[in-house]
Amino acid sequence: MKPNREERIASLVLILFSLAYLTYAAFLIPMPALKQQLGPDAFPKAIGVGMVILAGIYAFQQFRGGLADQTKAQEAEKRAAIIGAEGKIKGVADLKTMGFMLVVMLLYAFFFEHLGYAISTFLAFMAGCLYLDRRHPVRDAIIAVIASFVLQYIFSAWLRVRLPAGPLSYFGL
Amino acid sequence: MDFWHNLTLGFSVAGTPIHLLLALVGVFLGTVIGVLPGIGPMTGVALLIPLTFSLNPTSAIILMAGIYYGAMYGGSTTSILVNAPGESSSVVTCFDGYEMAKKGRAGPALAAAAIGSFVAGTFATLMLMIFGPWVAKIALNFGPPEFFSLMVAGLTVVTSLAGRSMVKALLSTLFGLAIATFGIDQQSGVPRFTFGNPELMDGLEFLVVAIGLFALCEVLVNLADMRQAVQERLTIRGGLWMSKEDWKRFIPSCIRGTLSGFFVGGIAGAGAAVASFVSYGLEKKSSKYRDELGKGAIEGVAGPESANNSAAGGALIHLLCLGIPGSGTTAIMLGALLMLGLQPGPLLFQQQPQFVWGLIASMYIGNVMLLVLNLPLVGMWVKLLDVPLYLLLNFIILFSFLGVYTTNNSTQDLFLMVGFGVIGYLMKRLDIPASPVILGIVLGRLMEEKMRQSLVISDGSMMIFITRPISLALLLLAVVSLTNPYWKQIGAAVRRLFGKTEPA
Repeated sequence: MKPNREERIASLVLILFSLAYLTYAAFLIPMPALKQQLGPDAFPKAIGVGMVILAGIYAFQQFRGGLADQTKAQEAEKRAAIIGAEGKIKGVADLKTMGFMLVVMLLYAFFFEHLGYAISTFLAFMAGCLYLDRRHPVRDAIIAVIASFVLQYIFSAWLRVRLPAGPLSYFGL
Repeated sequence: MDFWHNLTLGFSVAGTPIHLLLALVGVFLGTVIGVLPGIGPMTGVALLIPLTFSLNPTSAIILMAGIYYGAMYGGSTTSILVNAPGESSSVVTCFDGYEMAKKGRAGPALAAAAIGSFVAGTFATLMLMIFGPWVAKIALNFGPPEFFSLMVAGLTVVTSLAGRSMVKALLSTLFGLAIATFGIDQQSGVPRFTFGNPELMDGLEFLVVAIGLFALCEVLVNLADMRQAVQERLTIRGGLWMSKEDWKRFIPSCIRGTLSGFFVGGIAGAGAAVASFVSYGLEKKSSKYRDELGKGAIEGVAGPESANNSAAGGALIHLLCLGIPGSGTTAIMLGALLMLGLQPGPLLFQQQPQFVWGLIASMYIGNVMLLVLNLPLVGMWVKLLDVPLYLLLNFIILFSFLGVYTTNNSTQDLFLMVGFGVIGYLMKRLDIPASPVILGIVLGRLMEEKMRQSLVISDGSMMIFITRPISLALLLLAVVSLTNPYWKQIGAAVRRLFGKTEPA
């Protein structure tokens, strides 16, 4: 089996994360005033040690080809099918589409309170729809209005759930 | 007498108009989730948890249980008509269900799935009713060491069945336990991993992680490959009913699937997906028509669909009686109940009988509703498959943001959710299962609390987990689960050590 670059990088990242977690657990958790049988750092330290060991094994498998044996890989696939493990994602990802939608989500999160739920949702929904499929802009706009302004009204007036109104607060929403 | 009194109590709770409505809404939404490919019951329950915030715990669990069951029913529709399982426990139904549909027998296939699910769901509810109080009574004798060991066993069983690599699954579990340590330590009041951020004092919100890792992750997975091949959707030709011959073949498979699903998937904690595969294997060994399996045999639908619904009911015994989730979906339900201030476990039957028996009664009602919804309305469910993917993805993003924001009114949670969505996508790409993370988050604080209580009892000695028989048995079960995939290699190594040759 060819070495997988993604998995090798991931194994190194996991080792770094595990070491960072263990370091914090070992040195940065303050001790309580009252002495206890097991302090607040014991459980995190145990988890940290476990993660470091497992990340190390994972890295070893990736760099020394632990799963290189074709038979072992086939057995792993057979077992995965039986336990209903989800299929692996293969192939190259459409990073442009993913990247665009991630930016939309981050902007949506940033403007959620500034512009309010209705306006930010309408803009995010339209941006997503128009980027992914621009064949039905009118239909998508109607759906966006319902999903944003109408839902804001339903949540505020009927369900009494507070959603940020943004500039619409000047109109009593 | 107590039994009938409790059942009457349950129906009086579940039969109120609001609970009937919630059961209907739950099974309806669950069926929608099950029908739509790519959104499993875990994602669905996580996305719909915010609907439960204004409800009391009894109403909330009735809604969530309806969604859980509904998703099991709904998953079979896409398996049969599109050859794409709606969720993992419907994978096996594709083998024969789609073949039956190709031969113009989609109606009998859908009927077999719906009726099998109804029978199995009713059986599992009956078992919960009979055995639940008994299991809870035994669990009342559990002390902190037994509970700690039970949680370790529960975590390891789910971990061992979570993916292709045990190392990756364990890493995922420990990641979940690590996230659970964020926030103020309950026993000492000391902040851990808060980085001076006041919003992290209560730890990372469970819903933020769950929706990020499942819902947003699914969005990113679909975005990564929007140009996937269009799958052919078969139509339903002819009647929706089974012939006399179909019924004769359906009944034994349904019984086998129901029993095996309950014990394997439910009691043993193996889950609905494993239960459906075990049932298929059982049909291959015991059915008179085993040669037809894989070519459109009704047994290939009846057995697995009965098994997965039976397993779902069995998993609720773990959740309600022991407070330990037996699957990823019940882990999310446990998280939701903890958010509502309820602690599932053995004391529940005594302290909150209206909650437990109300749920049991609503499961009976829900099963009937699902049978009515799934058969006559199957045409409507099929129409759902025509919803454009891009609209579906945008709705999932919208509901994710709405759900997470309404929990704490925090923008930081929205950013964290998107971050966990990216982490979830990377985990999926690296074939690291995500459900152990949820289990780790839900059980982490409780595990630590029970461990510390145990060490107070034993004055700091770890031997307490081994000297108490139930605790020892549970820890041995954990060891067996973890080493299970390696027994062949261990056996081969032992044979080499003693100089015996490998079997041919």
